[in-house]
Amino acid sequence: MDLSIVLIFLLIFVVVYAIIQYNRLVRLNVQVDEAFSQIEVQLKRRADLIPNLVETVKGYAAHEREALENVVQARAASTSASTLPAIAAADGALTNALRGLLAVAEAYPDLKASSNFLQLQEELATTENKVSFSRQFYNETVRTLNTAVKTIPTSFFVGLAKVAEREFYEVDDPSARNVPNVKF
Amino acid sequence: MIMANFRALQAVNRRKTFFLLFFMGVLVWFIAYIAIASFGGSGAGVIPLAVGISLVSVWGSYYASDKLVLKMTRAKVIEQSDHPQLFNLVNEVCIASGLPMPKVAIVEDPAPNAFATGRNPNHALIAFTTGLLNSMDRDEIQGVVAHEMAHVANRDTLVSAVAATTAGVVALISDILMRMLWFGGGRNRDHGGNQMPIFLAIIPLILAPIAATMLKSAVSRKRESLADATAVSFTRNPAGLRSALEVLARDTTVVQARSSAVAHMYIESPLDASAASRLFATHPPIAERIATLRKMESNPEIVQ
Repeated sequence: MDLSIVLIFLLIFVVVYAIIQYNRLVRLNVQVDEAFSQIEVQLKRRADLIPNLVETVKGYAAHEREALENVVQARAASTSASTLPAIAAADGALTNALRGLLAVAEAYPDLKASSNFLQLQEELATTENKVSFSRQFYNETVRTLNTAVKTIPTSFFVGLAKVAEREFYEVDDPSARNVPNVKF
Repeated sequence: MIMANFRALQAVNRRKTFFLLFFMGVLVWFIAYIAIASFGGSGAGVIPLAVGISLVSVWGSYYASDKLVLKMTRAKVIEQSDHPQLFNLVNEVCIASGLPMPKVAIVEDPAPNAFATGRNPNHALIAFTTGLLNSMDRDEIQGVVAHEMAHVANRDTLVSAVAATTAGVVALISDILMRMLWFGGGRNRDHGGNQMPIFLAIIPLILAPIAATMLKSAVSRKRESLADATAVSFTRNPAGLRSALEVLARDTTVVQARSSAVAHMYIESPLDASAASRLFATHPPIAERIATLRKMESNPEIVQ
């Protein structure tokens, strides 16, 4: 066969191969962005639920000022956080404050029996799970991306695709990571 | 089993599925060889016929699996308002797995069970019996939802369709050749000595379909173990699924609208345990599944 034909085929192969690797990196990077916006959606949902919860608890246990204050402050901090580590830290603090408030609520049978609270309980349980699952999914996408950035052959195309390793979403509270299914 | 990590378990079960499907392919070649070697031209004609029948029958039901199964199991698709908690749970697992929201259905049946079907994640359907929803707590239902969504993620409707097609081809070829044998179809007998004596073909013809069924069941069992491991990768909570399986193990009622045609889809086999021996079972023994999950619970590295 003619040598030029062989060279042309080789060139086409190299170009197609590069396009595949380039697209894989870009796709993984977009997936990380999508996963992060999912965390933000779920954090927003949770922040929206809190005023209702605080009002309900206040109606039965107004003097549990400290636990209520903690939740309100943590919520304010979480809505104003902007960088990833700050968002993650505020998220962890809010999870803890909520856990504290619900532990306090345990001592008020009237509160626990109120229909409003029962409805909130399921909402909070699912929201807390959605928050922790979206964190987990985000970290899973970061893990895949970072592996691709560091391993051959995708690592050759990192500069071309302008993709770099991404940060994991680390919540400080170790119990929040080990037990995603919080019982409320 | 040495490892109690879901990633290792997923890898092992995927590899085993691959080998089992490979052996099923070998079995098809074997039976095709027997057909040609002992029946000559008429035997060769049987092969495309068997492949055609098997492909049409299995792939038709694969493609419309979500709709067909609704009819066969009397499941009803529900809306968010019918069961908000179940929808919340499914939504949670969708977030954990990155899968699109499937159709959710409920089967009016006191026996606790659940299944997943659909040709791809965009046409997925997961169904739960009322008995399951009534007898399990939130974490347990979450484990079951994760197991069903794991079947969707692992494309188990496709895997079982491939297994059913190959097993079907082997069964059909054997069946047709046995009939040809019976009604004196070995008309190539006089043509010369280059053919295998017909009576030598009888034993493989009897054994091959049995082997194919056994391999098909083994594929199904591996996919169940894989779904358990994948479910843990979604929820990182082996205790929920383990506890759900314990509820299923304790329960003695059986699904009413059961049929061996849909048995492989359920989370626990809906057929009587005594009816099938271990080699033909579509599910691993429930005690074994519970033990594997228990090992994962005691492994602190599970969340990594």
